[in-house]
Amino acid sequence: MIDSLCYQAEGRDVAVVGLYCDFLAHQEQSTTGMLGAILKQLVSRGGVPEHIREAFRGAENGFGRRGLRLPDMVEILKKTITLPQQVFVCIDALDESAPKNRWGLLKSLQEIIRVSPNMRILLTGRPHIDNEIVEFFSKAVRIAVSPTQDDIKSYLEMRLNSDTTPKVMDDELRRHIMRIIPEKISEM
Amino acid sequence: MLSGSQQVTGNINSFNTLASHNNIINITAGPDLEKDQILQWLSQLEPQQRHEGVRADRLDSVGNWVLETNEFRQWCDMGGGWGEPVLFCYGNPGVGKTYLR
Repeated sequence: MIDSLCYQAEGRDVAVVGLYCDFLAHQEQSTTGMLGAILKQLVSRGGVPEHIREAFRGAENGFGRRGLRLPDMVEILKKTITLPQQVFVCIDALDESAPKNRWGLLKSLQEIIRVSPNMRILLTGRPHIDNEIVEFFSKAVRIAVSPTQDDIKSYLEMRLNSDTTPKVMDDELRRHIMRIIPEKISEM
Repeated sequence: MLSGSQQVTGNINSFNTLASHNNIINITAGPDLEKDQILQWLSQLEPQQRHEGVRADRLDSVGNWVLETNEFRQWCDMGGGWGEPVLFCYGNPGVGKTYLR
């Protein structure tokens, strides 16, 4: 989806940024860390806005550099996501983030989008987080994603063609696989 | 996501002359070193790397129907349509949500 958006965005004042949540990275994927990753992508393409340079220089306290606090991060994002640029934020596998971090992320995004109507958010995840999303974005549009028969067949073809032991396969077994698996999956 | 060609380094705006105070002349006409430090400071996460992995493993024809839905088209309307800004694509593990093109 990110690539499709980037393709459409060519030649327009549009920024597309992405984030992948991961069960195994709860430590690094704090709310502030995830918002920071969004901000980082926004500013990595061009020049760094002056308000971010100032915050960076102000964080030096003689002993090292303090990380941004969540409220400051949210404020900086609000200042950075400005018209006329449109900003598309894509967050994958939101259900894999730690519940506390997810709550913080959704709340922060809600706060930012209130003042930044030029921001759009795409979330993907398992169905069970729907009620959390609705809590912050009551009108969120939903799409149920499940593979079509054609999707399953394309995927099977690809896997069979890249089989590491092709000699075990004969035409009959192949036909069998291509028939049975899509049937079974659509029954699920 | 962000293709490599869009990364702009070699920023020549960073041109500091601090001669008056302490006789140090610091001219940075090469890469914007502060920018690299700022990016690192903002977050240590590198989602671009994960995206490259996803892109490499993706089967392009799969899941394209999602991109054709009215819901998706309205959401990504870059022509200035101001519809509902939040889109949630949900599904069970392994259905291919991550690998939508």
